[in-house]
Amino acid sequence: MVSKTEEEQVNRLESQVENGGGGEWEYLCLVRKLKLRRSYNVLKYGFSILNDPKKRSALGPEEWTLYEQVAVAAMDTQRLDMAKDYVKVLQEKFPESKRVGRLEALLLEAMGLWEEAEKAYSSLLEDNELDPVIHKRRVAMAKAQGNISGAIEWLNKYLEIFMADNDAWRELAEIYVSLQMYKQAAFCYEELILSQPTIPLYHLAYADVLYTLGGLENLHMAKKYYASTIDLTGGKHTRALFGICLSTSAIDQLTKGRNKDDKENSQLASLSATALGKDYKQRAPNKVSLLASTLKA
Amino acid sequence: MTCDFSRELEKQYSCKPEEANSFSESRPQPSTGVLLGRSSDHGDSVEIVDSVPLFHSQIGLLPPLEIALIMIEEFYGEKGLSIVGYFHANERYDDFEIAAVAKNIGDHITQYFPQAALLLLDNQKLEALPNGRDRSPVVQLYIKDASRSWKLVGSEGGNQLTIKEPSGNIVLLDYLASEKWKDIVDFDDHLDNISKDWLNSELFQ
Repeated sequence: MVSKTEEEQVNRLESQVENGGGGEWEYLCLVRKLKLRRSYNVLKYGFSILNDPKKRSALGPEEWTLYEQVAVAAMDTQRLDMAKDYVKVLQEKFPESKRVGRLEALLLEAMGLWEEAEKAYSSLLEDNELDPVIHKRRVAMAKAQGNISGAIEWLNKYLEIFMADNDAWRELAEIYVSLQMYKQAAFCYEELILSQPTIPLYHLAYADVLYTLGGLENLHMAKKYYASTIDLTGGKHTRALFGICLSTSAIDQLTKGRNKDDKENSQLASLSATALGKDYKQRAPNKVSLLASTLKA
Repeated sequence: MTCDFSRELEKQYSCKPEEANSFSESRPQPSTGVLLGRSSDHGDSVEIVDSVPLFHSQIGLLPPLEIALIMIEEFYGEKGLSIVGYFHANERYDDFEIAAVAKNIGDHITQYFPQAALLLLDNQKLEALPNGRDRSPVVQLYIKDASRSWKLVGSEGGNQLTIKEPSGNIVLLDYLASEKWKDIVDFDDHLDNISKDWLNSELFQ
């Protein structure tokens, strides 16, 4: 996950390059380091460097890393002709390389040749069973072919080996949500919160899933996790504030005044409503009255 | 610009070309939106007048959906419009199935508006637009039939989807070419940053 400052840095570089201010190489390095997916730009800027022999030789050994990066970008933007060329260059330079082998398999994937790609990945895995990238490509291929249950299976297998890969847990959770398998999604978010308890995103997602599951107990838990999200984000998290309003209102509806926590509930709700109102006044003043009527409903 | 579809006995649905544009094919995630409009006086046609883009991520979760629906209903209710349908664009190019999630949202809307429409973006048609001179809508219409399941509406038969404005697809092409879709704010964007306006009032004059 990328921090806000890092994202701003990338965006700044991007507009700098767009406006002719140079900095292509810095941009490409940063995108590579942060593992961002900005393939249109990577292809554009990378191509301009690789096509210019002077710029290319100025890179030294980093030239090959750039070839790899631009090849992947080309595949992502369906410029398979360019991707093939770049992969060829790398093949000639590093004939027995496993890394290039992975790239070749990726190219097969991009061309939609699923069986060949699967064969390529399996043989690469024989030599190196613990290569996370290949495992992940399998999941991606299943997804791309619409084989969601296959993707889930591969992802679960992957997580048995690499259980600390939080991005994978998130991916799995999102797949479960898209299939409306909320209990399983909740489990994933529980794992994430256990391993990284201070990341508000996980608390929020968990709360959303609990709310969607419904039922009094889940609603109470959802409320708790919306509250912890607000705690971790200094009180201004729009989605969490709305979440509090929704969950307190849902709890009220279910308990119809029988609940002794009623007072605390309504206090919490009105605090959230006030916070939202303040924020809207500041940043979206034309929506303030709409917010008020929404909260009443 | 409103499209009007008329039919004698059954409901007709009209559609604004901008809606198909709002939910761009370039987003690598599913895109969803809500359709607003009204029933005609005789109740034989439903006119879709506007739309609001909803989400591009995690569309299976209830809280953002509930907030969005309430807010949108509140806003458009004052203008005499109500939520008349739901729009969905699949992540994958060749995916023509309506996800269970989309059906659920459609079901939810039919509780309040029984003739609700579900529009599924036809990715292939959208992609073919620049090449051909197709004037037919780039969306597929689904409505709930008597067995309470969502059925695709063909060009013959009871229900029909027509575009009032014949040059609708040309406008759509223009928007695509000018990359207007990059600037569209959906409800997801709004919830992440409330200063972004999901009404997109400046974008489509």
